[in-house]
Order: sequence, then structure tokens, then C-alpha cells
Amino acid sequence: MKKLSFVLVLSLLIFGLIGFSSFAKTPKDNLIIGMDTSIIVDLDPARSYELVTNLVIEQLYDGLVDFEGGEDAFKTIEPGLAKTWDVSDDGLTWTFHLRKGAKFHSGNEVTAEDVVYSFTRALELDFAPIWMLNQFVPSPDNIEKVDEYTVSITTNTKLPERLMAAIMGVQGIGFVVDKEVVESHATEEDPWAYDWLQRNDAGSGPFELVEWSKNERVVMKAFEGYWEGAPELNKLTMLSMPERTSQKFSLSKGDVDMAWDLLPNQVEDFRGREGFEIIEQPAWDITYLAMNIGQEPFDNVKVRKAIKYAINYEAIIDGIMDGAATPGQSFVPFGMAGYLDKIMYEQDLDKAKELLEEAGYPDGFEAQLLCQPTSPRKEIATQIQQDLRGIGISANIKQVVASQMYETYRAQEHEMIVAGWGVDYADAQSLTMPFAHCRTASDDAAVQQLAWRNMAVNPELTDLVEEANKEMNSEKRLEMFKEIQERVMDWGPFAIMFYPLNQVIIKDNVKNLKLPPNDSYLEFFDVYKTS
Amino acid sequence: MVVVILGVMTIAFFISRVIPANPVAAMLPPQAPPEAIEKAEKKWGLDKPIHMQYVAFITKLFQGDLGTSIRTRRPVLDDLRRTLPATIELTIVSLVFGVGIGLPLGIISAVRNGKISDHLSRIFAIMGLSMPAFWTGILLLLVFYYTLGLLPGPGQLPAYMTRPPRITGLITLDSALAGNWAAFWSGVRHLILPAFTLGWLSTAAITRIARSSMLDVMNENYIQTARMKGLRESTVLLKHGLKNALIPTITVIGLRIASLLEGAVLTETVFSWPGLGRYSTNSFLAVDFPAVVGAAMVFAFLYSFSNLIVDLIYAYLDPRIRYS
Repeated sequence: MKKLSFVLVLSLLIFGLIGFSSFAKTPKDNLIIGMDTSIIVDLDPARSYELVTNLVIEQLYDGLVDFEGGEDAFKTIEPGLAKTWDVSDDGLTWTFHLRKGAKFHSGNEVTAEDVVYSFTRALELDFAPIWMLNQFVPSPDNIEKVDEYTVSITTNTKLPERLMAAIMGVQGIGFVVDKEVVESHATEEDPWAYDWLQRNDAGSGPFELVEWSKNERVVMKAFEGYWEGAPELNKLTMLSMPERTSQKFSLSKGDVDMAWDLLPNQVEDFRGREGFEIIEQPAWDITYLAMNIGQEPFDNVKVRKAIKYAINYEAIIDGIMDGAATPGQSFVPFGMAGYLDKIMYEQDLDKAKELLEEAGYPDGFEAQLLCQPTSPRKEIATQIQQDLRGIGISANIKQVVASQMYETYRAQEHEMIVAGWGVDYADAQSLTMPFAHCRTASDDAAVQQLAWRNMAVNPELTDLVEEANKEMNSEKRLEMFKEIQERVMDWGPFAIMFYPLNQVIIKDNVKNLKLPPNDSYLEFFDVYKTS
Repeated sequence: MVVVILGVMTIAFFISRVIPANPVAAMLPPQAPPEAIEKAEKKWGLDKPIHMQYVAFITKLFQGDLGTSIRTRRPVLDDLRRTLPATIELTIVSLVFGVGIGLPLGIISAVRNGKISDHLSRIFAIMGLSMPAFWTGILLLLVFYYTLGLLPGPGQLPAYMTRPPRITGLITLDSALAGNWAAFWSGVRHLILPAFTLGWLSTAAITRIARSSMLDVMNENYIQTARMKGLRESTVLLKHGLKNALIPTITVIGLRIASLLEGAVLTETVFSWPGLGRYSTNSFLAVDFPAVVGAAMVFAFLYSFSNLIVDLIYAYLDPRIRYS
């Protein structure tokens, strides 16, 4: 009898725990996203630089100018908090006329005062992303309040409108914060209230921050007083799910509405499956192999070209990326104004061998190939290693974590490296500078980015980059960008391989989701759920 | 105990600083210009010689300051306070699973030595030990969540459920204290799969040791005496046999606590558990020195503390052991 009742109680308990479970569908007004949010460290727009953090603050804040969203994102400049703008005759002073009645989440009105404060704050805090602004707007003195709704910003050089808009509309440092609210949290040690703003929101965007528990979730709710009207969704939740398989399971079971980080082969599982939709968009993200021109034998252009001809680009895109990549060899990615639509290299081992022989290395050589121990980079490195073996070059792969790899890369100590580059702001100038500007490989170089790290000193090309920066005629400027790309493709240290596809999977009751090429610019303002 | 913790921290400090990686480089995006890196190095004191850094670190430590995490930019102490409860909750429940399954299996194996149930329970235990936690975790999710739909998926609570106000940091306890029984129930159910994944790891060790010490004890004279006195078999087994067999078992359980913390790293990732395991992995990968040393301190503390508890339990089980 005793035994029987024990079994009874036990089975009741087990059934209680698992049997009566029901899986509530996600609520209609709450969009739940499963994604790896571990990169988010703080939410202060003056500091934010990472994709996922930018995606969060994109919903919380607004900038002076905006870009059209969706697939055609960044093609047209749109008004943001500034309704119109004009430029002085000398081309140096931009005057922004703010829209009246735009409100912060606190209910305060957005005024010129807030704009001046936000840019001043970002310049004074001086965090890593500030270089985008202070290369043209070096000091807070350049920003002036004209009247309650007018701000003027003076740049140190003439800027084409597109570049100006790209800088002013950049996520983070381009966002306007609520001066009154932020100042009320300032202390003597922390005059810009960084400590407070990294965990709170003081924006005027379509959503306001409700909760951010690190490694757990970010919850936002609709801001009813938004100047464009309240967003369709009531709530937006980003659930931290570092494991991709968990994201996949949760999406299938309906516990999340959207999975952000699935691998291409996991994405394929959802293709054609009822109830789900795959949203894809070539990303503004460049994956490349770089060779250090400061190290022999990569100083020889023929060696570099031989390597570019040896790589099996197709195998990398189809085999390693599962087709989830757009082939391309220009450093301005597909879809961006100024993109050079040209494939200069296809695998041709005979040509590669010939070039290597002409360069004086008929038997090849040995070199180190640096990469991160993460997929798909390590697989790409392995493919390149195998391809190079075909022309007698033996590449020794060294896998190191990002911190160690970039340390070596920045010290110009690598030989070959597989790495990637994201787009900082929506203008090709943000790529010509890092990829082509290098007057000297020494420590006093003006720009110490990719060309510099690979010691690709080329004064002539650098002149061209600087000339393009000054060119005001938009068409001519784009032509110059294309010429720079062609020359880098031909001569430079990079074998650019592809631009990966951004892929997210949604449940088919989620409507109006348009993925831009820079996915952190994804706006949830118009997104809604039918059930 | 203090010496152990201090020693572990010192070793962690030096190891994390001699490896050729730059935490600042890991933190900033690849686009960051060199000036930004230099400035950040200065800010974090990484430009000073290592012994100076150590002196500064120890001085601060005695003021109760573990420094600021380079990655999260928050005081390490705050980070630990935030992440530790989730891991403790997971570890305790998985220990309950480990002991709750391992101990009975061990006893059954011993009593039915050589019979089919002995083999089966040993196979079950060995499986737990042989399968890596991330694989077990994904497999359990596949079966009980994805296919059967019997248990909830990753996370501590469903996305739409609000967390109870933070008192202890343990979700189940906090929701019970707040009287929020829906959250409590959901929290318990969310605990089952990750705790079982983690607990299965311990089952093997506990089953093995429980079985062999039970076998030893059952051959002792006092067991035969007890049987001859005409006591019921269950009394002989549980009161005379088990109590004596428990001493070596407790040792193993104590040691398992440390392994549970190790396993927590993988389990927490698979189950989106916002605990210390994930925090320390992310810190290791980012070469976040202060956080790594802080996490090492907590692990050292938990390890020493569980050993202390084990010693105290000995004294309770075996009155001959007394500590002065």
C-alpha cells in the first residue's frame, strides 16, 4: 500500500512537471527575437560600436538625418530629427532645421540645445567610434545653436552631401540624447553621466528601454509619443541565446518569432517550410585574405597576384559558405554607391605558377597564415592553404583568438591573414580610407588601417584617395572610387573573396521586416504580427 | 582557505597577463584606430610593468575592490553578484539530480550485484560521464523540447514572463518569496533539462563509489549481526549499511561540485543560462584580466567551501571524527 502511494505521488509530480505543459505562443503585440547578445556591454550611444548594440540603440534613438530602410537602404537620404538642411556658400557650414514637436521618452521636446549637447558629449567622452565624427568635426566649438530649432555644424573640409549625411546619420555618435535627463544624472566624477546612460535610455526613438539584463534579455516597449506615430508593435524582446541550435529549436517551437544567428545550413532547413520565411540580404561586410607587403616575398606584386589567382573562390562560397555569400572582389561592397562590379581573379593555377616563376619563386615558399579559430574563417584558411599548395606555397595556419590576432595584425607582424571588415558609415569614403590610404608604413602615418597594417605604401594611390575626398561632383566622385578599387584589386595586398549574406528567419506572421545591408540599421518601427 | 584563494588569484593574475594577447584589441572593433587602442591601454593601466600592476591589484583587493571588467566596464564584484546566483541555482538542482539518481542506482547495483539491473544502472551512469555536456544538452532539448514538447526550451523563464523582483537572485526562490507561483512553476520546469544535463555528469562518479562502498560495507560483521538480530532488510540496508557507505560517497560528491562548475560553462551556453560559467568563458575569450581573476576567486572559494562542508558532514556521519 505504502509502495503504491509512493509511486502514485511520484508519477503525479512528474506529470505535474511535464505533462500539463502548454506552449503559449508569443503574444501578438510582442516580437521576440532569439539572438546572441553577449557582445552588448553598454547602451551609451557615444560608445556603441558593435552590431548588436547598434541594433538596440537604433530603436531607442534618432539622429538628425536618416536613411531609407530595407533592401534599398542608404540609397536616399531622409530627414530625421532635422526636417531640412542647407549648406553655406563655402560648403563648410551645414545648418539643420529641426522638426518641431519631436519628443524624448521623458516628454521633453527635442531642441537645438540637445543636439549641441549630444555632439559635445560624444566629442568630450572621446570613445573609439568618435574618429568618424572628429575627422571632420574636430571640436565642440564647431557645433552651434542658432535658435531653439536650428543648429549649425562647421566641418574642417568641404563634404559632399552624402558623406555629411552618412556621418550625421551614423548610429551611436550621431544620435541625439535628452540633455535634461542625462545632465540630471551627472556627477562630479562623471560629468557626462556615462555611468547612468550605459544602462538607461534618454532617446527619442520609436521604442523605449524597459529592461536590459545582460546575457538574458533586452526588453523595449512602444513609445506612444513618437514623432512619426507609435510603432505597430507594443513590445520588442531580444532574448539572449548564444547557442544557435537553441535558437533553431525555439523558433521551430514558436517560443521566439525570429532567429538572428543561424548558420547557412540551419537556414536551409527552413527553406520552403510552412510557417517560416527567410529574409536575406547581401551584407556590407568584406571577407578577405591580406598579405603583408612589408614581408618578403609579398613585396613582389607578382607573388601577390599569383596568390590571388590560386584561390578557389567558388569552393569557398559554395562549399564553406553554403552559398550564403555574394562573390565580389571590390572593397566597396555590393549594393553601396561606388561599388565596382568586376571580378578580376578566377582560379587559374597555370597562370599563378607562371607568375610565381617570373617572381623568382618557381618552387614556391613557406609562409604563415593567421586566422581566428571560428567558423567560417578557419575553414576558409584551410581552403586557401590547400589552394596554395597547388602552386607550391606551403602556408602554415596559425589559429589565434581575436585579441591575439589583431595585436599581431596591428603591429604589422603577420605574413598572411584571413579577416573581415565591416562598414562604419554609409559612404564609400569609409572604405577608401582604410583600404587604400597609406603614405608611409611608419608609426606617424595619418591613417593606420588596413593598407597601413599590410604596409601597402602607395603615395600615388593615396593622392587619389585624398582627391576623391575633396570631389564634390557626386558622379565624378563615384568614378574615382571605382578607379581606386580597381588599382587596389590589381596591385594591393588584398584578395577579397565575398560579402556574406545576412540571413534571418522569421515566423510568417511577422510582416514588414526589411533587412538592410547593414543589419544593425534594421528598423522595427513598421514591423507587426498578424497573430 | 584564504591562502588557497589568494594563491589561485595570484596564479590567475600572472597567467592572464603573460599570454601574448591584448584585451583592448579584443574589445575594440577591428576598425579602431591605434590612438584609440593606446588610450584604452593607458586607461586600464596595461601600460605599466606587470609587478606594478600586481601590487595595485592586491592593494585594491584588500579594500574589497576586484577592479573593473574591461569587457563589461562594470565592477567585477557587481558582475559576479549578478551571474553567480543563476549558476548556484543550477548547480544545487543538478547536485540533487546527481545524488538523487546516483545514490539509489549505486545501492541497487550493490544489492543486485551482477544482475541485469546492476548492469543497466552502470551503463546509464557511464553514459552520463562519457557524453559531453553540450551534446547531452542539445540532445535533451531535441527530445523533450523540440520533438515531444514536454518541457520548456532554453532560458530561465519564457520571454513574455516578467522576472520576479530580485531578492536572492535565484529565480525559483525569488518568485516563491514574491508569491508569483506561475513564475515559480515555470522557473522549476526550465531548470529540469539543464540541471539534468549537468547532474548526469555526476551520476556516474556517485553511482560507482556508492556501489563499491556499499559492497564493502555489506560484508562487514556488524551487518551480519544486524541481520541475525532479525532486523528488517530495509533497516539493515539503509540504517546500518548506507550510513557507513556514505562517508566515501560524500567525499566524491564534494569533489563533484567543482566539476559541476566546470560543466556549467557548456550547459549554460546551450541553455541560454545567464550564469557565471558563461560570464567566465566570455571573459577568458576576451582576455578580460580583472574578470578572469575574479571568476577564479569565486571558483576557488566554492571549491574550498564545499570541501569544508564535506568535512563537517563527515563529523556528523562518523562520530569518531571530531575537529577541534
